Amino acid sequence: MILRPRLEDINNIGYYLGKIMIGLGLTMFVPIVVGLGFGEINPVLDFIVGIEITLIFGFILTRLCYTEKDLNWMQGMIVVSLSWLVAMVLGAIPLYLSGHWKSFLDTCFDSMSGFATTGLTLVQDLDHLSLTHNLWRHLIMFIGGQGIVIVALSFFVKGASGAFKMYVGEARDERIMPNVMHTSRFIWTVSLTYLFLGTIALGVTGIFNGMSPLTSFFHGACIFMAGFDTGGFAPQSQNLLYYHSTIYEIVTAVIMILGAINFRLHYHIWMGNRREIIKNIETVTLFVTITITFLITALGLERLGVYPQVISLFRKGFYQLVSGHTGTGFQTLYPVQFVTDWGSLSMVGIICAMALGGAVCSTTGAIKMLRIGVIFKAILQDIKIIILPERAVVVQRFHHIKNVFLQDKMVRPALIITLMYLVLYGLGSLVGMWYGHSFLYSLFESTSAAANVGLSCGITQASMPAALKITYIFQMWAGRLEFMSVFTLIGFAVAAIKGR
Amino acid sequence: MKLKPALNITLGIAAEIIYALAIILAAFLISLALTKL
Repeated sequence: MILRPRLEDINNIGYYLGKIMIGLGLTMFVPIVVGLGFGEINPVLDFIVGIEITLIFGFILTRLCYTEKDLNWMQGMIVVSLSWLVAMVLGAIPLYLSGHWKSFLDTCFDSMSGFATTGLTLVQDLDHLSLTHNLWRHLIMFIGGQGIVIVALSFFVKGASGAFKMYVGEARDERIMPNVMHTSRFIWTVSLTYLFLGTIALGVTGIFNGMSPLTSFFHGACIFMAGFDTGGFAPQSQNLLYYHSTIYEIVTAVIMILGAINFRLHYHIWMGNRREIIKNIETVTLFVTITITFLITALGLERLGVYPQVISLFRKGFYQLVSGHTGTGFQTLYPVQFVTDWGSLSMVGIICAMALGGAVCSTTGAIKMLRIGVIFKAILQDIKIIILPERAVVVQRFHHIKNVFLQDKMVRPALIITLMYLVLYGLGSLVGMWYGHSFLYSLFESTSAAANVGLSCGITQASMPAALKITYIFQMWAGRLEFMSVFTLIGFAVAAIKGR
Repeated sequence: MKLKPALNITLGIAAEIIYALAIILAAFLISLALTKL
């Protein structure tokens, strides 16, 4: 028997959802301040409308549903999954008012793509979008990369128990510090420290490439936010191709790799345990998988003679690969070049890289390195069990902050999440094929959406069918939240209809 | 901020950047090997 949700459930969910909406509304003050600084009055008005709507809904919910009770697991998961949908709609309002999107659905697509740090975009005439709106596109990546709930956790949520449930619901199952509020503040510390360093590095590089200081630092800040949070938006329509700079590409590649590192690992390295970076199962797996997938991609490109020079193979082949593997989606190619130039083998290399992703508790999406490492160790253990004498005791260990003995209870969730990602990649490609695209290109675009990458081979454009846009929005949402909170929301909706 | 934590953070950031550069170097060597062989 399914139990119908109680009024208390709806009350708790509404109250915390309202708090998150207020947090989101307050972040809209950043583009307003920048817009006023640049003298962009009309775009500022768009954000004032956005803030008003967001704060009004937030205050109404917190007033109507006021409670002092803490969240239980089900409520925490539902708050997280709903807050991402609500953020998509509310975050889209100022963008839609700019007139650069063909429909509100297109704006919601870009808004979800931003919050989920994907990077697929349907914007029209990006090169003439105001700086204020452009900053918001990148800021929502920065907010989404930390986690929308993390923003609220840092400032508004009091109850530690409820906060932890929302933290877990947002696909961050590793607590860095005993207190989850301190954990979220440490995540902000890392991100803001790197924001400062990364903006300076990109700003100076831009100036050496001939950009004006103001433009260079504005682009630097935007590109850093999209790179470190493995998002993939860029201020110009040509994405990273706009800069035509090897140094810019190397700096952004470093930023993308830093963004793919576990925040818990950042903490231990920053606390003095620097050897962890060469011992940790995630960094070792990331190194190995990037090398293997690049080898596949490079072999495919080399066989077709696409890039005969070493520097062009490295700049084009490796850049798209590391961008895909870290889940960023910065592109130094036109999307159509994947189809016309790259060939099947190199595209398969990129698809594999996109499907794997970065570290858990980082800003990346996809299956993630800890799970890949654990599954690999489990396979190794099973092979040893077969090869060694029957009486031999086979123990498999791996290093993740400390030495850990592999247990079945670690392998099971890793396999389940991996399977669910594979199903999600497959479902999206079925919808792509339904609309007439080939299997390989459909799989490429679907994996890019579900793994929150943002590389495109040309399927994603404003003229694609609405059903395909909604499919990709669902994939970006479910992929970013790693399924459990999405399934809880679906279960809650079923219980509300069929429960007693 | 005390000197030792600040030094640890600086060296930690340096270690992470060196790790990223090592990945990039490995990829460059693969590109070099494939185009020259």
